[in-house]
Amino acid sequence: MAEKTFIVRIKRQQRADESVRWEEYELRYRPHMNVIICLRDIAERPFTRGGVESTPVSYDANCLEEVCGACAMLINGTARQACTALVDDLEKPIRLEPLTKFPLIRDLVVDRSKMFEDLKRTHCWIPIDGTYNIGEGPRMAPAVQEKGYPLARCITCGNCLEVCPKVNSNDSFVGAAIVSQVRLFNMHPTGAMHSAERLDALMGPGGIAECDNAQNCVKACPKGIPLTESLAAVNGQVLVHAVKSWLRGE
Amino acid sequence: MSAATAESKTSYILDKLQSLSGVIPIGAYLLDHLWSNSYALVSIEKYNQVSGDLQTVPWRIALEAAVLWIPILFHSLYGFYIWSKGKSNALSHPWMSNWMYLLQRWTGLIAFVFIGWHLYTERFGGHGVTRYAGVAEDMANPLYVAAYIIGVVACSFHLGNGLWNFACKWGIAITPKAQRAAGWFGALVGVSCTLAGIVIVLGFHYAWFPLGGYVQ
Ligand code: HEM
Ligand code: SF4
Ligand code: FES
Repeated sequence: MAEKTFIVRIKRQQRADESVRWEEYELRYRPHMNVIICLRDIAERPFTRGGVESTPVSYDANCLEEVCGACAMLINGTARQACTALVDDLEKPIRLEPLTKFPLIRDLVVDRSKMFEDLKRTHCWIPIDGTYNIGEGPRMAPAVQEKGYPLARCITCGNCLEVCPKVNSNDSFVGAAIVSQVRLFNMHPTGAMHSAERLDALMGPGGIAECDNAQNCVKACPKGIPLTESLAAVNGQVLVHAVKSWLRGE
Repeated sequence: MSAATAESKTSYILDKLQSLSGVIPIGAYLLDHLWSNSYALVSIEKYNQVSGDLQTVPWRIALEAAVLWIPILFHSLYGFYIWSKGKSNALSHPWMSNWMYLLQRWTGLIAFVFIGWHLYTERFGGHGVTRYAGVAEDMANPLYVAAYIIGVVACSFHLGNGLWNFACKWGIAITPKAQRAAGWFGALVGVSCTLAGIVIVLGFHYAWFPLGGYVQ
């Protein structure tokens, strides 16, 4: 009996400045496969459909359970995590491409350090110590914990930036994930002590005013984070902060 | 990190002013303009009286420049700049709000062309002071009727969808439920303006006075 197989088409590039090459692989079907398994199968036997020997495809992955964010890519044109993309659910042939809004490193690997830089730029952390122990912070009300938890699930995958019309080479917009983290850290009782710095940063270039409300981010987020709610909430915070600083002549 | 520098805040302020100008004064004026032109549905005399009053306000040029021309020019030109910074992807991600993003831009462009032509024909060209007969003469032409309907639909959509955008972008509608409600409010404004505008245009075309019931 012939084995059941399916086709995976992959956009490959050795380097960002090298020309694009599409490769097709025919893989043996097993139930419950995900896209990472496909890439592993190829690494095991890197022969294209035409029988030409190629090289293993470069890709990023780590947790394999949608918590690390590393494996974001375009799967049949949709920005999503490869580890939770099941072959059974995907239209064949399966088309794999790297995210387009981040600098390409190789094949399906992109450099998402922009997000890390923007998290730093917007002060998305909570200082717990100075040059000396600054002691315990205030307690967090359970109601605030409940609001904060969904925001804390962000895995910095970048899918929300990938689908945003305002994140592109013409614009420096930080994107929904970062704005949502600002909301999270401003919500935290200790984090709130530094909210002015975060709001000032979001008033600057690439800040919140760049958001034009296409609301794609919330549909692309694998963690179901209420990004449009975060954007609106932080928009209000920045506005109040801007008006107050202006009235005080700061 | 200290406070954002004055220079880096400029784009925030300009973005906010572009957004605000769409509602006040431009959006408010669109409502007022449809209101005053609705007198054309009452009677010729009433229309001429109201438009005559409006066109003889003191400081007319200064008022029009401050409340209309400068805000519309700023909103549009800065709007084109905002448009140029985005890269629409509605074809690859065909979600409704993504189409709205694209339509907001194209209806803005149609509104820009329409407003320019409308000002040229009704404000600066020809009549100087508009009277019912002059508008009705223009509206006898089916091409005028078609152009006005396209212009009215574009402006109304742009205002209605813009109000939804505004509610989200100024932190007025925060939760998905509130944003949905703001969307319905915007839709109500957009549809009302479209209907009012079309009825006014048809009123001029057919010399039709459906709201003239109380005029003896
Ligand atoms: C009838 C005249 C007009 C009215 C009533 C109007 C009204 C509005 C309103 C209420 C908004 C929402 C503000 C916001 O996004 O927060 C808006 C946004 C916008 N308008 Fe207009 N507008 C008009 C003409 C124009 C014109 C001629 C253009 C030129 C292209 C334009 C381009 C834009 C753009 C690009 C946005 C979206 C900005 C964003 O999403 O950040 N508008 N407009
Ligand atoms: S907000 Fe959602 S889509 Fe955006 S980076 Fe975080 S997990 Fe990914
Ligand atoms: S491998 Fe961690 S999210 Fe997919």
